[in-house]
Amino acid sequence: MLSTLRTILKDNWEWRGQIVRLSLFELRKKSRGAVLSWAWFFIKPAMYIFCFWFALEIGLRVGSGSAGGPPYILWLCAGIIPWFFMSDMINTGSDVLHRYPYLVNKIKFPLSGISAIFTGATMIVQLMLMAVLFGIYIVCGMPFDVYLLQVPVLLVLLFMFWDAFSIMFSQLSALSKDFANLMKSFSTPIFWLSGVLFRVDNIDNAVIHAVLDYNPVTFFTKAFRAAFYDKYWIWEDVGAIVGFLVVFLITILVMALIYKKFNEEVADVL
Amino acid sequence: MSSKDQTGAVAPALSDAKDLHVASATGETAIRFEHVTKTYKLYKSDRGRFLGIFNYQRKGEYLGSVNANDDLSFEIKKGEAVAFLGHNGAGKSTALKMITGVAHPTSGKIEVNGRVSALLELQAGFDATLTGRENIGLRGQIIGLSKAEIARIEPEVEEFADLGLYIDQPMKNYSSGMKARLGFAFAVAIDPEILVVDEALSVGDKAFQKKCIERIRDIMMDEDVTVLFVTHSPGTAKQFCSRGIVLDKGKKVFDGTIDDATEFYEANY
Repeated sequence: MLSTLRTILKDNWEWRGQIVRLSLFELRKKSRGAVLSWAWFFIKPAMYIFCFWFALEIGLRVGSGSAGGPPYILWLCAGIIPWFFMSDMINTGSDVLHRYPYLVNKIKFPLSGISAIFTGATMIVQLMLMAVLFGIYIVCGMPFDVYLLQVPVLLVLLFMFWDAFSIMFSQLSALSKDFANLMKSFSTPIFWLSGVLFRVDNIDNAVIHAVLDYNPVTFFTKAFRAAFYDKYWIWEDVGAIVGFLVVFLITILVMALIYKKFNEEVADVL
Repeated sequence: MSSKDQTGAVAPALSDAKDLHVASATGETAIRFEHVTKTYKLYKSDRGRFLGIFNYQRKGEYLGSVNANDDLSFEIKKGEAVAFLGHNGAGKSTALKMITGVAHPTSGKIEVNGRVSALLELQAGFDATLTGRENIGLRGQIIGLSKAEIARIEPEVEEFADLGLYIDQPMKNYSSGMKARLGFAFAVAIDPEILVVDEALSVGDKAFQKKCIERIRDIMMDEDVTVLFVTHSPGTAKQFCSRGIVLDKGKKVFDGTIDDATEFYEANY
């Protein structure tokens, strides 16, 4: 199994040039066929953010809770922008091999690299949105402090975790559409249950807390908010960091097992 | 229209291609198959196959297995031109797929030395939303060419494929012939070390076919290029190859000079 992990890392390193360039191609493909092309990477998230902000702060008036604190919109964006990345990974990243059939059975290409292409492309969009988030951060009059140093680390973790997730599920989805459909139907429940729109810490139930500590979506939204809004180090929340590390490790192990068992069969089946 | 008829029409000009190529083998191994078996498990439905993954063979769902390649062993030296002869389903394409590295053997060992350029299923393998020119770049990147190399082959491919304004149109607007032309143009432009030709010469109109055959001939003049030619028409094979391997039901049934191989093939099949 360790050798499978080594193979995956080696393949991704050896093909890194192709992976980066194919990521850029993926983006070009996405923006193709629209006059506003690249602007759509921003317009769609902006609409979402506006809707949630309007519904929560203006409509339900649950937003502006902490009087005197930084604006609610910053809290919202700090969680929902990483969610856009995770949502893409759950919906599309869980079935990338059907997206690039020619890389699977026409041209020799490491299958784990295909996940890296998609994760990379999604990450480029995420970085652009992060730049916007920093813009909002500055407009809100927030200071540049040490807690922001967590952001690059979190982005690296975000990439690694969801890349492993994508490698694992893409193998399974290639063998049976059930896995892709499962993930797609889970995407909305995950959004509402993981605390993208509410503070998990305000829940008054120890069991729910314990369960959500093992939810990677909760971890990432919490951690980005810790850096941008709540201003603490994420490892101060011991439950969250331990829970995430456990899930991360298990994901890597299961991914290696699945990849080892199926990666040579996938090309015959797809 | 079979490919045999078409290529036959341009044959006279090419009869010397084989002679130019023979005896250039250097003794280095380009491709080696050692007891290679490729088994496909067949199921009645996706559901059966899915359960089969977990080694649960439900009654009625598992139809059996087919050995597309069965204990196949051969060695091809660098610079050889070898024809694979056999009926549909003899295992030719499976063997080629494993040589290109997109499929893996169920058991046995495969060794391939050199950059493989495959002319299999020319129409497939392009991204339909990208333009022809972008696809050239994309493919070039996938096989690891540098920016300079891509810039060098792009005009070559463009000229050879001769698509006019369509080179900058999304490939979903291409006809199948246009896709095949671009595919062929790309495959021959990248200076392959191992060229795999799978019934590719039956694409396009006569003029384009002639161009293709001439180009393959040019490539074969280079002594270091190994050529694998897959066909069920012995006539075409004779023009290009010096050695023939006959496959039947995944097994190698004959391996020898091209004349003997075609004779064997025509006598037995």
